[in-house]
Amino acid sequence: MVGVKEKISAMMDGELERFESAGALKALEDGGEGRESWRTYHLIGDAMRDTRVLSPGFADRVIARLKEEPTVLAPAFSAAGLRARPAARWSALAASLAAVAFVGWVAFLPEQEAARAPQVATVLPAAAPRVQPAADTMVAPPDTADDYLLAHQGYSPRNSFLGVAPYVRVSGDTEARRR
Amino acid sequence: MRRALGILALAWAGFAQAQTPPEATALLRKIYQATDKLSYTGIFVYTQGDKSETSRITRVAGEGGGVERVEVLDGPRREIVRTRDSVRCYLPESHTVKVERNDQRAFPALLPERVAELERNYTISRGAHKRIAGFDCESVTLTPKDDLRYGYRLWADVASGMLLKAETFNKKGSTVDQFTFTQLHIGSVPRERVRTREDARNWRVEDAAVTPANLAQSGWIVAGDLPGFRKVIEVRRKLGESRPAGQVVYSDGLAALSVFIEPKSGRAEAVRPGLSTRGAFHIYTREVANHIVTVVGEAPAASVQRVANTVVFRPPQ
Repeated sequence: MVGVKEKISAMMDGELERFESAGALKALEDGGEGRESWRTYHLIGDAMRDTRVLSPGFADRVIARLKEEPTVLAPAFSAAGLRARPAARWSALAASLAAVAFVGWVAFLPEQEAARAPQVATVLPAAAPRVQPAADTMVAPPDTADDYLLAHQGYSPRNSFLGVAPYVRVSGDTEARRR
Repeated sequence: MRRALGILALAWAGFAQAQTPPEATALLRKIYQATDKLSYTGIFVYTQGDKSETSRITRVAGEGGGVERVEVLDGPRREIVRTRDSVRCYLPESHTVKVERNDQRAFPALLPERVAELERNYTISRGAHKRIAGFDCESVTLTPKDDLRYGYRLWADVASGMLLKAETFNKKGSTVDQFTFTQLHIGSVPRERVRTREDARNWRVEDAAVTPANLAQSGWIVAGDLPGFRKVIEVRRKLGESRPAGQVVYSDGLAALSVFIEPKSGRAEAVRPGLSTRGAFHIYTREVANHIVTVVGEAPAASVQRVANTVVFRPPQ
């Protein structure tokens, strides 16, 4: 008999027939070893593809949120469908990014020139498409964090009682890196 | 019935407003005035998490605003000199001077007469006396009325109003960061003590070149609909060496958030969308219409994220 772990691994790779997946899905549903393997294999896959790893407990939070949803629609599980979807999503994203690249440059022209710039509003939806960070992703601060802190500090009302003191929080790290 | 409830709510709001003890707001005003009027020199420690750093600060008061200089004494050398209309940040290790010129008309200093406005978002109360660096201090606490901002505890010299210690705390009551003087002399200071010691003649100068702007005219809409916060300034500027950016600042009179919008093209560094922390700051980065939107604030993560998510680009009509 093939172990639960192997079955899950095969299912993730799309190597199981639909009727065979049922056992693996049941193991996932039951939690325990099955679900742990699912997480571990995904972690390995993400590391190999250099994808950012989701924060701990992500799955549990998603499940908790799903439970709060008024209706839960469970789409039929299909490995083939899963494989096909990311490609479609990425090409749609690429198309929207291309559209955005076309208009993005208008934004930082001086105001008078921007007013004269060719108008492309008609081809775009009101809110431009964008890449959204996952709500619970913690990332390293920007390499240029100091630039933002310095620019922000000048307008902080706290200067009114702390004077120049808060500026010590601009570390000079960015400059050190540039050297 | 509804009207009766409304009147009751109004009466209650009025009552709640009146709860702020006048001596608490009086102390806040006293602190602001002292910051503006006094000359002093001293050593303070900035603590954030498990890190702390010592700096020397010197201020010479003068007509139309004083000159202040702070030198960081631990770690890499750096020095900041602030005058009435500019801030210069000297970074000797990279031979760089960063210059920010303040537009006085737009400078959102919190004026003493605006102290009362803080009562909308904070409960202001008096705290216990405490001795700090040899000074007998009285204290005032500003506790936020919601989760969108931090709280502040301030200790000031009873005699002069000079701020000796400032602490920021989160909703759990834990300290986010704090400034504490360990040594302080109040009184006249020779003027050369606020001049930089660095010979910066051949250093690279990075001028922020700040000019007032209306970003909506070029299609950028920042709603910044954070309760209690309002827009205080909107500018075009440079970040770092020469990156053009738009900046919009929101403030509730004490906490502040900056929204930066810059073109994605020409960025050498990797851009990591998502939430990060740098000291007491939360930073949230996302991409909108081929631009990088970065919100920086000394505020809880949720506030920074919320403002970042209001930013949209609509091509100008």
